[in-house]
Amino acid sequence: MRLTFLAAAASVFLLSAPSAFAQPPAPPARPVRLYQGRRAPEQSDRVSRKIKLGRDGRVSIANISGEIVVSAGGGDEVTIDAVKHGDRGSLDRVRIAIDDRPGRVDISTDYGSWRFGSNNVSVDYMVTVPDSTMLDVKSVSGDVRVTGVKGSVRAQSVSGNISTNNAPGVEWAKTVSGNVDLTGVANDADISVQSVSGGVRANGLKARSLDVNTVSGEITLQSATIERLNARLVSGTFEYGGALVRNGRYQVTAHSGDVRFTVTDNPGFELDATSFSGEIRSAMPLTIGGNGGVTVTRSRPRRGPGQSLNGTYGDGSARLELRSFSGNIVISKK
Amino acid sequence: MSPHPDGVTLSEFADDALPATAAADVRQHVTSCAECQALVQSLRDVRRAAARLPQLQPRPEVWTRVERAIRAEAAPRRATFRWSWLAAAAALLLAVLAGYTLADLRRQPAAAPSVAATSDDPAAAAQFVEAELRQAEDHYQKAFTKLQQSVNDGKGSLDPQTAATLEQNLAVVDQAISESRAALRAQPTSAPAQASLLESFKSKIALLEDTVALINEMRNGPSLKPKGT
Amino acid sequence: MNRTDDVSPDLVERCQAGDVDAFEELYARHSGRIFSLAARMAGSPETGEDLLQEIFLQAYRKIGGFKGDAAVGTWLYRLALNHCLDFVRSRQAKMDKATGTIDDDRSAALPSRHESPVEKIDLERAVQQLPPGCREAFVLHDIEGYEHREIAKMLGIAEGTSKSQVFKARMKLRALLT
Repeated sequence: MRLTFLAAAASVFLLSAPSAFAQPPAPPARPVRLYQGRRAPEQSDRVSRKIKLGRDGRVSIANISGEIVVSAGGGDEVTIDAVKHGDRGSLDRVRIAIDDRPGRVDISTDYGSWRFGSNNVSVDYMVTVPDSTMLDVKSVSGDVRVTGVKGSVRAQSVSGNISTNNAPGVEWAKTVSGNVDLTGVANDADISVQSVSGGVRANGLKARSLDVNTVSGEITLQSATIERLNARLVSGTFEYGGALVRNGRYQVTAHSGDVRFTVTDNPGFELDATSFSGEIRSAMPLTIGGNGGVTVTRSRPRRGPGQSLNGTYGDGSARLELRSFSGNIVISKK
Repeated sequence: MSPHPDGVTLSEFADDALPATAAADVRQHVTSCAECQALVQSLRDVRRAAARLPQLQPRPEVWTRVERAIRAEAAPRRATFRWSWLAAAAALLLAVLAGYTLADLRRQPAAAPSVAATSDDPAAAAQFVEAELRQAEDHYQKAFTKLQQSVNDGKGSLDPQTAATLEQNLAVVDQAISESRAALRAQPTSAPAQASLLESFKSKIALLEDTVALINEMRNGPSLKPKGT
Repeated sequence: MNRTDDVSPDLVERCQAGDVDAFEELYARHSGRIFSLAARMAGSPETGEDLLQEIFLQAYRKIGGFKGDAAVGTWLYRLALNHCLDFVRSRQAKMDKATGTIDDDRSAALPSRHESPVEKIDLERAVQQLPPGCREAFVLHDIEGYEHREIAKMLGIAEGTSKSQVFKARMKLRALLT
């Protein structure tokens, strides 16, 4: 079932309750020129704050334009470093809102009564959080980068890229036109990843299940240990490299993209592959119809057009259900 | 008499949670100590009484508040509900194409000749499939139109690049739909073509829903966070 | 205490499809058990109601991901328990910050001499009025039936602490049952 995409992105516009946060520091005496804007020269304002949080706290960051970089800091504090960029007149109307309550810190960029698109202020956030923090990051047009955070991580962007490194607790990563790059995810949750036009890449992912879909982006999974995979693509290509989990179930549905599995030392799998006009090939010989049955490695035409390949390799312990319309389906050995 | 065991030990003893040797020691003491015996008994009584506490019921107002909150979130979901109904319609179509009669599925007098019965007459089978296909597509089309309308109304809320990306990808999905449709027209009994068409419809609905949700969020600005979250 | 999950199989599907009436049915079946847990963990029916509301809203949002590999009641209960534990932990953090650590772990053997004379206030109210710390451990052990080992993990305390908290709670309550 669909999770409402960016369901809480409205918090981006959150008009915060009066927070304990003091007014941003006075602007520097001389304006800092970063680059020439269209009208006024661009300036920047920096805001820094440290908040004690402790273990297993929650941190949320909601931004519209600008980068969000979060890393695990090893202590028990959240340190926030936010730099606003824009022309002088606009900068003062945008506020970094920090709301801290027991066990949680909520950070957001408050544009006041402005709506998205009617201002030119961007805010870059650099935040460090305690290792075990649960993180929720939302951005509209900025990249999101998370490193080392061990708690659950949810990250969303519209046009930004999402990349996480050594953040085992990633549960959700969604973007519209950006790419998603996940390294070192290891948990026992159900993970959901989506990009509309960007690619999804995951290296060394371990989870109970992965639901991943793109429209025109590519999906590349390397060394994934998952009990269930559900991947949907329209024009993108799907590639999987690594071992198959015993009793794992891998469902991939593509329209015009190829579906490729490059399998390393693997005790066996059961293949159920169908393509309307593409080819289906398996480097491993498949047995059809039980012991002593026919062995095939290429698809045979079904009754009517379309190819299919159904059979068992080895002990048939993993299950591959692969569909493509015009793409090829290829199983090869590493 | 051996020294009184401390309270926590007696509490564990009351739960039969001590390892065998420790339990034996405590039992030996308790048999000859009225005070500890009474304590153990009352600890057991508390536990038993607690386990028997009746279930509490919330006031009816709580459901009202929950309902209000979920209906506020339900707007994008309504499309999903419609999609489920459409998916059921499409599944019905596929079952028919796979050779089941409508009678098998609905346990009513068949409204149309069964595909199996027309296998000797490929032209009639093709026509029948065409008709069913068109009906299912009509249902999807209505959903698309409504969603597309919402998208058009709200596109101004999205920045131009995102709007363009979504348009381009909608075109990718539409392309997938027309390819599947063409394949199915040419080969009405092809299961891969049927499956592709269904998948493409799902992809389109999903993309339109996501776009509508995104527009709503951009447009409506702040939403009230539920208390305490 | 545990009711078998006798929901019709399509109730879950209807909930996942966003059918609010189906969700109300789910609420009707399970809100009692979950409210009991929440009210007792929080120590007040009012807070329990707030938690109940948040829990079901969360359930509505997450039921799309429910895979049917366990009974939906179990899934719901686990969600509720986690939510209650979050609440307990954040309140504990707030208390620690406000007053330093509240150390009420004095010799637990004696019931407090300062308690008002025995009026048989009912056990339910007494449980809710237990001081936080020993209340949560007591609720999870004696009412919900968890083991000390599990409670220790849930509450982030040592197993020995769980045992002494439960003992302390029982001592406070035993005065009311005599």
